Amino acid sequence: MQTEIMLIRIDLILETIGAIIAFAISHYANTAYKLTREKRLSDLSTGFLVLSVSMFGRVIGTIYFFVLADASGSGEALSLRNIVIIAYEALRIMAYALFALSTRRGVREYENNAPLMLLALPGLIDPNLEMIAIIVLLVVVLQALINYASNRSRFALYVVIGFLFLLLSHIFLIFSFNEYRGYILSQLSQFLGLIALLVMLIKAGR
Amino acid sequence: MNRKRPYRSKMRILVDMMRAIQGEGEEGAGPTKVLYAANLSHDRLTQYLEELVEKELVIEKDQGGEARIYSLTEKGRDFLVEFVRIERFSEAFGIEI
Repeated sequence: MQTEIMLIRIDLILETIGAIIAFAISHYANTAYKLTREKRLSDLSTGFLVLSVSMFGRVIGTIYFFVLADASGSGEALSLRNIVIIAYEALRIMAYALFALSTRRGVREYENNAPLMLLALPGLIDPNLEMIAIIVLLVVVLQALINYASNRSRFALYVVIGFLFLLLSHIFLIFSFNEYRGYILSQLSQFLGLIALLVMLIKAGR
Repeated sequence: MNRKRPYRSKMRILVDMMRAIQGEGEEGAGPTKVLYAANLSHDRLTQYLEELVEKELVIEKDQGGEARIYSLTEKGRDFLVEFVRIERFSEAFGIEI
């Protein structure tokens, strides 16, 4: 029980820091959109904002769940927990879909948008929202890789690393059922991914 | 064989013009200099120069007679610095501006 509580505390701290980083990136992307009026920057900003909201929501929901579970017993707390989990996953998928949309290459330069077409593969109806998140994030990572391959900028490399770690965090989460190590790896991976994006933001701003 | 020129957004054109003006330093640049450095037609040049002056990014100095010289304002210099940062950020995500 002590280990679980300690894990949850670390998890919430990492999630909170990650949410703040996502918000900072959203804010900068919005500033860039206001200056340039490039719509894809607005989509990127919204994506990171949704990601930030989902992470803050999970932190607040988890804290509330544990307070409620303490105060009133298991029934109400369990249903709230399920709501928090579903809302969190749905918002993350929405955020990743916005990343996929905003980071797609222009039609002029890249007619055969194979990564985005992965989203149209039939039969990907899976009750486990994690799988959907992984598939959407895979598209985002592929697009980021293609971008890095074409311009070889170190800022693009940070973006690849960031999204790759986010993808890994979801993959680790699949192996985390009844296994704490998978869960810890997942949270660390997510945190590292957002740190990579923060490093890009700081270095690009110099 | 004709090489297709890459499409430039209006923002990109304005930035190219400002960089051309900045490149001339304190002395400023005349319209012809900006025209060739930014690779523009004359109509576009006039239209965009007016826009830059209106937005107070560039200042027009009258050198007497018909000669006009353009220099960056403080606001224009700050804009260019910020644009470079935004350009790096956007290109990291594969977004061209």
